[in-house]
Amino acid sequence: MKPTPFRSMTSRFKMRCSKIVAALAVAAAALLVQTPESAAQPRPQELAANTRVIIDYIDPMLRFPRSQATLDRLRKRQVLEELSMFLSPLRLPRVLRIRTKSCGVVNAFYDRSEWAISLCYEFYEHLEQIAPQTTSPQGFTRDEVVVGGFIDAIFHELGHALFDILQVPVFGREEDAADQLSAFLMLQFGKDVARTTIKGAAFTYLNNRNPRSRAEYADEHGTDAQRFFNYLCLAYGGEPEAFRDFVDNGVLPKARADGCARENQLVRRAFAKTILPHIDVDLMKQVQSVRWLRPSDGRTSK
Amino acid sequence: MTFVVRLVLALAFIVPLGAASLHAQTFGPSGPGGGAGKPTPGADKPAPVPTPGPVFRPTTTDVTPPPAPPPTTAGADWGNSQVDVVYAEPQDPRFRPIRERLMRRQVLEQLRLFLSPLRLPRKLLVQVDQCNAEQRPYQPGGAVTICYEYIAKVAQLVPPTQQIGAPPPESMILGAVIQQVLHEVAIATFDILDIPVWGRERDAADKLAGFIMVQFGRDVALRVMVGAARYFELSERQWTQADFASEQAPEAQRFYNYLCIAIGADPATFRFLVDQNLMPQRRAQRCGNEFLSLRQAFVQQILPHVDVQLLKRVQSATWLMLDEPK
Repeated sequence: MKPTPFRSMTSRFKMRCSKIVAALAVAAAALLVQTPESAAQPRPQELAANTRVIIDYIDPMLRFPRSQATLDRLRKRQVLEELSMFLSPLRLPRVLRIRTKSCGVVNAFYDRSEWAISLCYEFYEHLEQIAPQTTSPQGFTRDEVVVGGFIDAIFHELGHALFDILQVPVFGREEDAADQLSAFLMLQFGKDVARTTIKGAAFTYLNNRNPRSRAEYADEHGTDAQRFFNYLCLAYGGEPEAFRDFVDNGVLPKARADGCARENQLVRRAFAKTILPHIDVDLMKQVQSVRWLRPSDGRTSK
Repeated sequence: MTFVVRLVLALAFIVPLGAASLHAQTFGPSGPGGGAGKPTPGADKPAPVPTPGPVFRPTTTDVTPPPAPPPTTAGADWGNSQVDVVYAEPQDPRFRPIRERLMRRQVLEQLRLFLSPLRLPRKLLVQVDQCNAEQRPYQPGGAVTICYEYIAKVAQLVPPTQQIGAPPPESMILGAVIQQVLHEVAIATFDILDIPVWGRERDAADKLAGFIMVQFGRDVALRVMVGAARYFELSERQWTQADFASEQAPEAQRFYNYLCIAIGADPATFRFLVDQNLMPQRRAQRCGNEFLSLRQAFVQQILPHVDVQLLKRVQSATWLMLDEPK
């Protein structure tokens, strides 16, 4: 039993209008409601894994026993398997390794000497820790933070990996470039996925601390506040309707917001010129039609 | 193999041009042993006499003799430049001395020569103008503008007393203005040549500008890179929450970005930045890789738009201006 929001609306229509008008309204509403998240979407399992992506859930170090539960959860959810399917359109000139492991610190990183992305259990645990129980005062939900935050870490490191493996020219700061790739990917799967993932990514930079000394500006990453605004700006630039609330409520200042469509355009152009040539476009469209996120994602199932 | 050849060509393009247009005219011999303009065997012309002294002297009373013509008179015949230059008449009389000085030094004319091997599919106007702001950002399809206000601000930042160890004021002024010009030209180039830009565009423009600035040889790199960094240091202000929404980076970030390019390009020369704690060790360790990645982007994306024929003429025409490498 699935109550749909437009059912009640059409019944009201029926009372006032002719049946033809009502039928048209239903059809129109159905079209509108048919977002990529609808139930008819294919599951990831319909895609083949990318054979050049080698995945591994590495057992946690013995001194971090509690990460075993994290590993189990990620494995059960088939996070890496689905990531490999997600990457199926990508033609990689060499093997990319993606592993989950314990690092002893909250981190995720790409190692050029191993062509490998490492996602630390500690990072996932950190997200669960900082995520609000339900909804934060600023309107960020627990699911958004855990799901979006983790996907952001994956996509950001994927950015570094692709820049390296595909020898992508990066004129700007690579850390920002990796954030841009992450945000750009998040915006390619419909508005709901975009909202969840962008908000989750932004939240991780929300309770930021700004540099207290000038030497902190030497970091090759932007400041947390800069990164927060960068995500929202690319999102607003790509999906103005879905992210207008951040401009209306002043979270994203108007002065920046005005240029966001162009910023998004620049990233789109960079993607089209440097990464798209390495992608099977037909497969990419399939990947875009898949329902990747599940309602239960981000919830801790005991 | 091709890669190496192209890279050599790229460096050959940048080095002599830079040395010609900037070093000879602008810096001149810095003292005994400065040794600019040493003729190379086989040169059929005597080397033009370099004009000593900074381009933008903060005093208005300097009476400079007319400068030597641009070092490569052949440049007048290159003719291929898509760059037009204009010193717009400022409404505010305060800016007139700045305009006169720039014109006397033929700053934009030299920039035009400098950029001529760059094959642009359309004309690009580079102008100095009164903006009623420090900057007038490039708009797609538009002109590159350097504001008189910016130059005036830079000149005002010169500290009243020279600190020990600080770069001389003229280096700061020079570095600041050169980085501003190249930064804006970089943004226009990204637009006109439809170049993919990963990372924030203004940081990318800084990096391309810095990349060019370190191709002029060691002495020039020292002056303009440290000078530009010094400008960011002096113009630094406190950033708070909403400031970080700016698409421009905080001055301190730009300070480190420029210095990191310098360290990446020439670790030995710029080691003192780390030794003197001007650059944290942690970032310094990464500058080599940052620079390699920047050079790769340049070779891939900019170099194909460089006119090789013109490049060769530029090469031969400017050889005699090149300093002895140190």
